[in-house]
Amino acid sequence: MSGVGPVEPGEGTRAWDAVEPGPPLLPRMPRGRLARLYARHRRAVLTSATAAAVLAGGGYLFATRPHEPPPALPPYPSQVVDVAYLGEESPPANAPSGSFSFALKITANGGPTITIVRISQPYAALTLSSAPRPPFRTRTGFGHKIVVTMHVTECANVPSNARLPFLDVTLRNTRAIEDHSFILGERYAHDLSEALQVACSNDSTSLAKQ
Amino acid sequence: MRQRSLIAITAALAAGALTLTACGSRDEDGGGSDNGGGGTTVVIGVDAPLTGDLSALGLGIKNSVDLAAKTANKEKTVDGITFKVEALDDQAQPSSGQQNATKLVADKDVLGVVGPLNSSVAESMQKVFDDAKLVEVSPANTNPALTQGTKWNGGEKARPYKSYFRTATTDAIQGPFAAQYVYNDAKKKSVYVIDDKKTYGAGLAATFTDEFKKLGGKIVGTEHIDPDTKDFSAVATKVKNSGADVVYYGGEYPQAGPLSKQIKAAGAKIPLVGGDGIYSADFIKLAGASGTGDLATSVGAPVEDLPSAKEFVANYKAGGYKEAYEAYGGYSYDSAWAIIEAVKKVVEDNDGKLPDDARAKVTEAMQNVSFDGVTGKVSFDEYGDATNKQLTVYSVEGADWKAVKSGTYTG
Repeated sequence: MSGVGPVEPGEGTRAWDAVEPGPPLLPRMPRGRLARLYARHRRAVLTSATAAAVLAGGGYLFATRPHEPPPALPPYPSQVVDVAYLGEESPPANAPSGSFSFALKITANGGPTITIVRISQPYAALTLSSAPRPPFRTRTGFGHKIVVTMHVTECANVPSNARLPFLDVTLRNTRAIEDHSFILGERYAHDLSEALQVACSNDSTSLAKQ
Repeated sequence: MRQRSLIAITAALAAGALTLTACGSRDEDGGGSDNGGGGTTVVIGVDAPLTGDLSALGLGIKNSVDLAAKTANKEKTVDGITFKVEALDDQAQPSSGQQNATKLVADKDVLGVVGPLNSSVAESMQKVFDDAKLVEVSPANTNPALTQGTKWNGGEKARPYKSYFRTATTDAIQGPFAAQYVYNDAKKKSVYVIDDKKTYGAGLAATFTDEFKKLGGKIVGTEHIDPDTKDFSAVATKVKNSGADVVYYGGEYPQAGPLSKQIKAAGAKIPLVGGDGIYSADFIKLAGASGTGDLATSVGAPVEDLPSAKEFVANYKAGGYKEAYEAYGGYSYDSAWAIIEAVKKVVEDNDGKLPDDARAKVTEAMQNVSFDGVTGKVSFDEYGDATNKQLTVYSVEGADWKAVKSGTYTG
């Protein structure tokens, strides 16, 4: 050894066998019943509190999780069906004399399958039939050609020159069944007026009552 | 160590909760039309009757435009642009409308205007806007001459103003559609026609009358009323004595309601039929219990039935607006959105900035705007008319209007 031993402790210094605990940070409070209970069951209380907090957090996250939106309802049939006027057609061979025919194109543009339940026209003095005969189903995105044939039953009550005649079409899909009017425009109005005039003209061989 | 663990868990949970709360509140922030984060402010003007008899419809228009602007700001639909709404009250008066048009033209931030409600007001505004190349989109004007010129009925259609567009269907369709329904479906063959002498009312009554006669119906009397009065007892007596089985009124609900009530009180228990100008909850209040069975046509399919309208209805409710969106809410939202889409196109074509001649460019872009709106597909034909032409007949049942028939013009 070099003769240099451990430094002799000076005044006020002591060698410690163990670190002495520091002074308490807070004045010790009188211990109540709850505190005593906590001290006795600290492990159980902490476990329960943690479990409750985790459950609460989990519950909150569960409650506020992003919800799958409910499946969208299919559209109303009238909102996805187009009916376009194509033009005049020759009436079927078996149609009564004085009948006249028009071609239409019906297109379902989306949604579930649409059934054409009925095609009619509003005038009391006319009857209407169509080929194919309703009810029939449409194929989405496909234009179905329909030929409607009209026959005058009472010339005295046919409209002379209606500006906006329409056809009523009953449509059905999984959402609803709807009666909807399709106003086919000026060309249809013109062709209908002309056909009515011919059907009810004096030299017509129409069976229609004058 | 246990205490430290407890503190750590508590802190983590608290931080998590705060984060979640913050996320929630951010979602609820609307980002109003005047406080978005965009660099440039674009003003969408609104002209409508915000006070007076027709304010129910006018406030529905204003609120719906406000909702469109807020939605565009929130979704940052046009990068770098914040939309703001400036709404002016025309009190349904053409002179006020013209003053408002001049005021909106003077504000250089205004790049589009939604309105007006009344066709007569539109007539006074069109030229002012057109001279300034400021686009105007009406959600409610139905007089055909506004887009197709005064000779439209003779087959000579000529667009008078390139800056005028509308999302509503015209009376060239509405009047005949009503006539077809009244004659063929309601089986009414003799009508007494009354109008208020205004552009909208007289025009609508004329298109109804023309078609009703062509269908074979009889016009058993015609009368014009003074819209400034509410005493219609004289005309009610004339209706009673005419033996008519239906009355057609071309005009708006502030007069139509009392007129319906007084006609029934005079002893003529027949329905009154009108156009979109009477399709308001206020008509039912004014007409009273005897108004049950009265009919109105209105532009478009019932908003509540359109899948595209569900979000609008929900957002309008969430917006906390005091007044209902009424007959033109969906069309007003779509009119404002058409302006937003046109602005977007102009900005995108100009490297993300508004060009110097933004108004002219927005007007030009409007012609080709096309989007899926609240009321269906929104686009315009060569006259500035909506390509989506739907109509619905409504009937008063108790305290509500109930849709009884819808039609689509496909010509």
